[in-house]
Amino acid sequence: MVSADMSAPDARALRLARQRRRSLNTILVDRLFMVAVYLLLITLLLIVVLPMIYIVASSLSSPSAVSAGRVSLWPVDFSLRGYEVALRDPKIVSGFLNSIFYTVSGTLLSVALTIAIAFPLSRADFFGGSLITKLIVFTMLFSGGLIPTYMVVRALGMIDTPWALIVPNAVGVWQVILATAYFRDAIPKELYEASRVDGAGDLRFLWLVAIPLAKPMIAVIALMYAIVQWNSYFDALIYLRNDALYPLQLVLRNILILNTQSNLTDVAKALERQQLADLLKYSLIVISTVPVLLIYPFVARHFAKGIMLGSVKG
Amino acid sequence: MASVELAGVSKSFGNFAVIEELNLEIEEGSFTVFVGPSGCGKSTLLRLIAGLEDVSDGTVRIGGTDMTDADPVARGIAMVFQNYALYPHMTVEDNIGFPLRMQGTDKATTTRRVAEAAEILQLDSLLKRKPAQLSGGQRQRVAIGRAIVRDPDVFLFDEPLSNLDAELRVSMRVEIAKLHQTLGATMIYVTHDQTEAMTLADKIVVMRAGRIEQTGTPSQLYADPDTQFVAGFIGSPRMNFLKAHYADGMVTLGPDVAWPVASLPTENSEIIVGIRPEHFVPAPQNTNLPVLVEVLENLGGTRYVYGQFGAEQPVIVEDRRDVEIKPGETCSFPLDLSKAIYFDATGKRLRPTGRD
Repeated sequence: MVSADMSAPDARALRLARQRRRSLNTILVDRLFMVAVYLLLITLLLIVVLPMIYIVASSLSSPSAVSAGRVSLWPVDFSLRGYEVALRDPKIVSGFLNSIFYTVSGTLLSVALTIAIAFPLSRADFFGGSLITKLIVFTMLFSGGLIPTYMVVRALGMIDTPWALIVPNAVGVWQVILATAYFRDAIPKELYEASRVDGAGDLRFLWLVAIPLAKPMIAVIALMYAIVQWNSYFDALIYLRNDALYPLQLVLRNILILNTQSNLTDVAKALERQQLADLLKYSLIVISTVPVLLIYPFVARHFAKGIMLGSVKG
Repeated sequence: MASVELAGVSKSFGNFAVIEELNLEIEEGSFTVFVGPSGCGKSTLLRLIAGLEDVSDGTVRIGGTDMTDADPVARGIAMVFQNYALYPHMTVEDNIGFPLRMQGTDKATTTRRVAEAAEILQLDSLLKRKPAQLSGGQRQRVAIGRAIVRDPDVFLFDEPLSNLDAELRVSMRVEIAKLHQTLGATMIYVTHDQTEAMTLADKIVVMRAGRIEQTGTPSQLYADPDTQFVAGFIGSPRMNFLKAHYADGMVTLGPDVAWPVASLPTENSEIIVGIRPEHFVPAPQNTNLPVLVEVLENLGGTRYVYGQFGAEQPVIVEDRRDVEIKPGETCSFPLDLSKAIYFDATGKRLRPTGRD
């Protein structure tokens, strides 16, 4: 309250001072909040980044240093021994090429099939659309399980062929939902109508208008499919017998197992092998991650756009 | 150029009938405007003509040919959408040329026709730009260009100016009118803005709740509306409607406001008197209406007086007299009785027999 004997200019000055203090308080609270947010984000960043740095540092250290647990965030006794052993293995090269083939062809097929399913489902006038959507979502919640799936793959004659790695998991429900939502919400209905008036049929609209406009979404689902395909080893483990078809991940797994199976009697050799196995773990993680890291910057731009899909209209 | 004929056209979405048993003929080369409030079915009607919606019943004929089940592209129409519907990843040139590309027109012809359309719409310098780099007016011109380039028999415009600001809307309106004169094509234009309808149309179709309320030239609808709805919809500011009583050849608005009208086709009943704001002028057949002035809008050349007559009946008067008026005063305004029109309680026009 302003006292009665206070003159008008004084009262105004007091009011202004109070307002200023209030706004300073607000600024202080804002700043504290920002500091808390930054601390939280930095903690999260460290949780993610520190193990990565540790892996890279370990992969560049000597086998004995790794085995003795002397490596923290910087290479100890710098050595490329792990990479040398890994890359000398001819199976690594064939595994790399196989993985690239599976990833590229698998991603292309997956993206093509996902678009082929999602585009019709995105259209309100597609007869039976909601039933088909329900069937697709059903498979997300309930699947046949490992053995029935294996039997299906075997019955289709795909065992020990590259198809076994590409076809059974070609379509991801989540990606279909994402693509359907994008086609439905991000591409205005009027564009479809305009293209109909202009004489474009459904396929030409899809090819000339919808797909070019859906590039961010396509980049996102392609990256999702590619990463899953690149990292997958389990399908190869159960469906493939011919090791010439093995993807990189399976080759790496076998190298690791081979180097840890120790039936050697010579203690020194056994120790060296154990140390190398420890080192190889890290080198192999780096080798298998590098391609994904190389691709990521090219799609990151779209990924940042696409990750917001469906969250905000317009 | 082609005529458009709708015979017994109905459209329902599920159980909801949007358009019922509608009959309409649109003459070759005319500029017809569908006008009406939101949800009256005018856009649906346009989409039925375009083939973007299937009719539930009835026939759509374009140029005398039954097009009821034809694809949009086969109908010889081109459509301009409210939100432009330009392909955002294509340049202006590719957008305008898209219909030709779909027809399989060769490149040289496409380039020539795109250039011709661009010249008509003054888009020559913008051909390499993408829609995002254009202003609203330019985008709408590109959308019109895409329509022109197909050389359609009928142009359909679905509220094409409603996304533009007021000033641009006026200039685009003029451009569309010029375009109609240049091309001479049949144009059908949907709007909820009666000013657009009045300024552009050869013929206005006033729609309400899926039915045609009245069809006619702008001046016919303005001077001789069939219903209270049309009278209220056409004209700005809108027509005043005052409750009155009609008995023994006398229309009585209030204790001191009454005048004789020769035989309205009703007797001893409540009626509605329609008076446009600009008809408050001295005339041979004259009476005075006392209005409690509430708000004055001075527009320079003229002024609008917003007030009340009697028991809370709002009145708008266009007053060109050089008389000082203040809010709160009750003023008497002369009323040209020859311009007054009458409606029954349901809003249907009552035409005095022996005078119209």
